[in-house]
Amino acid sequence: MDIDTKMLWNEISESVRVSVSSAIFSTWFSQTYISELKKTGSRYLAEIGCSSSYVKSTLELRYYGLIQDLLTKSLNYPCDLSFVVKQKIREKEDVSIIAPLFQEHKDDSVVENAMVGAKLRLNFTFKNFAVSSSNQMAWAAAEAVSKTPGSAYNPLFIWGGVGVGKTHLMSAIGHTVLEKNADVSVYFTTGEGFTNDIVEGIRNKTTQRFRDKYRRLHLLLIDDIQFIAGKDAVQEEFFHTFNALVATGGQVVLTSDQPPSEISKLEERLRSRFEAGLIVDISPPDFELRCAILQIKTKERGMVLDENIVHLIAGNLDTPRKIEGFIVKLMSEMNIKKSEITEDLIGTLLGKGEGDNGQKLKATPSEVINAVSKYYSLGKRSLLGSSRARPVARPRQLLMYLLRTVLSLPLEEVGRVVGNRDHTTVMHAVEKITQLASNSVQIREDLRGIKNLI
Amino acid sequence: MKLKILQENLSDALHIASRFTSSRAQLPVLGNILFLAKNNKLSISATNLEMSILLNLGSQVEKEGEITIPARTITDLVTNLTPGTLVLEAEKEQLSILGEGTKAVLSGMNTSDFPSIPQNVGRAFATLPKSDILDALSKVLYAVSVDETRPVLTGVLIIFRNKEIIFVSTDGFRLSQKRVKVEEAWGKEEKVILPKNVLIELTRLVKDEKIKLEFKKEDKQVLFGFDNLLLMSRIIDGEFPDFERIIPKSSSYKINVDRDDLLRAVKLSSVFARDAGNVVRLKVTQEGIELNAESQLGGSGENKIEAKIEGEGKSEHMVIAFNYRFLEDFLNSLDSEDVLISLTDPNSPGVFTDPKDPNFLHLIMPVRIQS
Repeated sequence: MDIDTKMLWNEISESVRVSVSSAIFSTWFSQTYISELKKTGSRYLAEIGCSSSYVKSTLELRYYGLIQDLLTKSLNYPCDLSFVVKQKIREKEDVSIIAPLFQEHKDDSVVENAMVGAKLRLNFTFKNFAVSSSNQMAWAAAEAVSKTPGSAYNPLFIWGGVGVGKTHLMSAIGHTVLEKNADVSVYFTTGEGFTNDIVEGIRNKTTQRFRDKYRRLHLLLIDDIQFIAGKDAVQEEFFHTFNALVATGGQVVLTSDQPPSEISKLEERLRSRFEAGLIVDISPPDFELRCAILQIKTKERGMVLDENIVHLIAGNLDTPRKIEGFIVKLMSEMNIKKSEITEDLIGTLLGKGEGDNGQKLKATPSEVINAVSKYYSLGKRSLLGSSRARPVARPRQLLMYLLRTVLSLPLEEVGRVVGNRDHTTVMHAVEKITQLASNSVQIREDLRGIKNLI
Repeated sequence: MKLKILQENLSDALHIASRFTSSRAQLPVLGNILFLAKNNKLSISATNLEMSILLNLGSQVEKEGEITIPARTITDLVTNLTPGTLVLEAEKEQLSILGEGTKAVLSGMNTSDFPSIPQNVGRAFATLPKSDILDALSKVLYAVSVDETRPVLTGVLIIFRNKEIIFVSTDGFRLSQKRVKVEEAWGKEEKVILPKNVLIELTRLVKDEKIKLEFKKEDKQVLFGFDNLLLMSRIIDGEFPDFERIIPKSSSYKINVDRDDLLRAVKLSSVFARDAGNVVRLKVTQEGIELNAESQLGGSGENKIEAKIEGEGKSEHMVIAFNYRFLEDFLNSLDSEDVLISLTDPNSPGVFTDPKDPNFLHLIMPVRIQS
């Protein structure tokens, strides 16, 4: 009795197509379908759905016999037809798209209060998170968790180096969950904050309050969980909190700078708990992603940068934090000195190499020289020598760039180290590499490779 | 078929009917106009399968019959003929037109392929007063959505509720609602969503004081009868969003402002808003309201308007942003001197009303602004 009406109608349509012209077919038959097929005794009753009453009356008047014949043949039983005006139900119902006017209006302050209560950063949302291949997996997992907290991946463990966006992603989950429902209890803390809470609980004899606070949450976000490693009491408390939360359907999201398997002094039972969920890593952003991040960040501050300037900056700075710092520097340059943003200005700012905010590499010039000569398999003598052939000169310029930007040596000093050259030669080299870094993938790769060697 | 008819009458009717043909349809007969001579009158009809029209013209019929003729050809021809009596004669699939000094023979098509079109309204479900209906339509039609992915929003919802007809339209960003009081009472509430196009045609065509309206539920069809013509359209299937839920019940500010002043300010701001996502910011101060817009390329402008402001949050300044096109559309549709704007907070829809007309209400969703 189960007849696929869609298949059946396809079959009928194909036969109809043979007997009528294509214009007639597409006008009268293409939007038509079988809305119902019933069998009574030895006869079938087919209800044909038509898109409008014009179609209905035309089919009834002119094609009744044709359709009836074909149906009878296909079904092997005599067939009766009835026609109704019924628009085909679309395959993809668009109920999910709710027009802004019809969205539930939540008082924004409620959501905001909830976010402040949860200690979330307000501007860390999915909307301003740029995604590329390096963080796509983590982003997709976070999105899935934010849609169905507690069921998709529990716990979600995000790890990666500094400034790759772990905290941003984690906050965005909390953000989305709260936006949907401000009554959900969400709490954002760090591994250190968690530790302090426990210590305080023990000191003030209020551990019960601590437990009430954590174990009734719907969503717990802990940043830098690696800090609890090696602290036995804290790990034990966390273990119980974790179990209690998961048992009641709460979601746990953790971040760390290492995967669980590499966090030393992490209790085995915790490690296995973490490994039971989803572990995703975020690798350092590639050039394109850095461009996107730069654009998002400048837009937030109301700045618009030209494409070539974006490339120049993203090509020379390798982490989002550095980019952030650079934008601050650029803003102050604009506001205080009222200077216009030009490639020259960017070049000088980048060339100063002060934007590293204490992340300066601790290396001596000779180490850098060694690294460069090793990377390019060039003898130190020729690297520092006087040959101006490109295979030697380019690495030399790169070396000067690195000495200038990474070690922040004065121009003269760089010149002295690199075979007693004039400071203007150094200036030229730095400028040249700054330019190249914005448009040559090779140079960017080389820079990264050498930095890893240092 | 053979008949005599006045060129003036025929020309007008053809102009109207040709708007209902579909020139790009795959079925050639849909680009044609159907002529049907019967009982001393000529009926002209056309359809694009979404809506159709039937016009009855007085004429002297000598021989009954029917034929379809391509709309473009016959309209262009008849328009340019000299006024006076024309003789139309159909022979097989050709129509000859005899005017003063002109003789033309047009090739037509058999009528059997032409979709069947209802000939009369039947018992009317309602009789609508023309002026009220036209007024209501002018206040809701501009807010109808043009986005085909949400079919229900591409039409106007009409609710017949005892002694009242409610017209509602929305595109998801704004909503217009107009109530019309009538003498008729309906026992049961009826709801119907009608496509924008047919309502636009209705406002263009109607001259009679009364419009007869009838639904054919099982055919999902609506019929309007007035003057000598019959307008038909499909009804849009589907559930209109629950609009009553989103109309704010309370507000923290009530702003009474002169319509012309506000419209001028909106137009001035739009100069800059055009390059900046159409966003105009409205700031409520103690003395009145300020409209400003800025674009990164064009510059910025600020306009102050005096207004009477009532509300609890009088001391604080509220800033709310709107798409200027929505404000302009609304203000243009209004014919009163003043506008009453009720605002709650920068993220809730603004309620725009005519202080003299409690039956009209317009909602506009604000644009979110980063603080």
